[in-house]
Amino acid sequence: MNLVRWSKAAFIIAMFGMLAAPLVIVAGVSLNAKKLMFFPPKGLSLQWYPAVFETNQWLEALTTSVIIAISAGIIAISIALPIAYFLWRHKVLYAKALFLAGIVPFALPPVITALGMLIFWVEVGHVGQIWNIMIAHGVFLVTLPLVMISLGLESIDDEILEASRTMGADSRRVFTTIIFPMVLPYMVAGYAFVVVLSMNEYIISFFLGQAATVTLPVQLLASLRSGYSPIIAAVSVMFILFAVVVFSLVARFGDLPKLLGAWTPKE
Amino acid sequence: MSDAAVNRQRDDAVGPVWREQFLQPLKRFPIGLYPTFMMGVFFLIPFIIMLVVSFYARTESTYEPGFEFTHYARFFSPLFTTHLLVSVQFSVLASILSVAAAVPFTYFISRFRRRPQVIALVFLLCVLTLSEVIVAYSLSVVMSRSSGLPSFVEWLGLIDKARSWYPGYLANLFGLSFFNIPFAVLILFPSCTRLDRELTEAAQTMGASPFRSFTTIVLPLLDRTIMAAFVLLFVFTMGAFVTPSWLGRPEDTMMAQLIANQALNRGNIPFAAALSMFFMAVTIILSLITVRLRRGDRVGQT
Repeated sequence: MNLVRWSKAAFIIAMFGMLAAPLVIVAGVSLNAKKLMFFPPKGLSLQWYPAVFETNQWLEALTTSVIIAISAGIIAISIALPIAYFLWRHKVLYAKALFLAGIVPFALPPVITALGMLIFWVEVGHVGQIWNIMIAHGVFLVTLPLVMISLGLESIDDEILEASRTMGADSRRVFTTIIFPMVLPYMVAGYAFVVVLSMNEYIISFFLGQAATVTLPVQLLASLRSGYSPIIAAVSVMFILFAVVVFSLVARFGDLPKLLGAWTPKE
Repeated sequence: MSDAAVNRQRDDAVGPVWREQFLQPLKRFPIGLYPTFMMGVFFLIPFIIMLVVSFYARTESTYEPGFEFTHYARFFSPLFTTHLLVSVQFSVLASILSVAAAVPFTYFISRFRRRPQVIALVFLLCVLTLSEVIVAYSLSVVMSRSSGLPSFVEWLGLIDKARSWYPGYLANLFGLSFFNIPFAVLILFPSCTRLDRELTEAAQTMGASPFRSFTTIVLPLLDRTIMAAFVLLFVFTMGAFVTPSWLGRPEDTMMAQLIANQALNRGNIPFAAALSMFFMAVTIILSLITVRLRRGDRVGQT
């Protein structure tokens, strides 16, 4: 019995340890005193963090990525909310087809989406624009807020809606006073997921950017190929911290296990 | 409206279905046009254009309208078949490895108390969303000669002279599996939380060891979820790009790299489009299989 418990604990710790390895290594490398990528770091220094904001190419890539992520989030929510609401209110084929269309992008290998969109923009004649990537990320990542908002709508009690209608609220009023506030946490969580994933997405940004619009992951890989600098690790650490903050906030203000599909017994 | 009614109407005529299922709902909910427009213009149309381009003729620098099957014919060339086999091999192995690690791991996490569980989930989400670039880079540090495991093994005296473990077959396989694990956990998590605790408790009261109750009760209950996870991860791995290009050797080139190489470096957009079409067909077939598997999910029905 004890052996089982120990091996179970050892397994769990080993898994967490292994998964945490990239975070630890990147953090270690970012502290190197000299312009070398050693792990464990040789000499300690925090100079590479301010350097991210002082080097033009990194600052530009960071700004580009942030602008794309924020806009992609808005686009994804603006598409996901009507689809989820449509399907929830009217269970018609049209709404089902739209829902399916929102699920497909995430299920396909991103390289296909990337190539399809590249050919599209080549045909339209606007290659390498920043808004190509904004729209691409918004459409590609729409699946997450769509699933989450649908989950939120499902959790609304029919009796509340019934009550508000009996008391004379029209459908717009029901939406603004009941439905919207109740799905807001799910929308925020969906938005957070899109923003984080958009910040980290590589291949679509690489295809559509065409060296004219460079996002952070694209800049990261390009720098890794051309030569090493602890700045790369410092940028990565900032990425990780960003994700930690965002997901901690989601967990703090929302029900994270439920958002991820955990089953909660009904009282 | 019930499904039976919909079916009856479908038998009668297409017209009424179109009116009732599409036109009237749109009249009641005109905002539905906006998502239709966005998904249609920026998702469906690019795929239609790509399908058309895959039949176009390649020219020196770009492509011109035409209708030929030359690009699809190249599927029988070794360039394509070897890379396809390499991709399938890596994807099968990486999916098996990551699912094998993730099943017990997810099961344990689903048994955590709420607070540690939330912390574990936040951690997993952070690892999951971590850019492939960062993961591949940090794994390459672990496997590098100067500061990674090889020098540690040399220090232990197990090998005479340390050399870098990447790029290599195992390095790539490890990277792909690593990248899959958090994803696998999140796929398995909902079903694991739905498992009835009383079943394993009953088995253990009756004298079954925890290991035995896990293999004879938990695993059989999760069989379809595990299969679905395997297929999803297979599809996911088939699309890997950064990991194989950073940790793999040239002979470990996978499908996504082939497509990117043909499209961006060789400028052969029609061939890349044909490859994508094939890739998409495979993905859709596999996704339909997962949908079927999930429908028969044993724990989901409770």
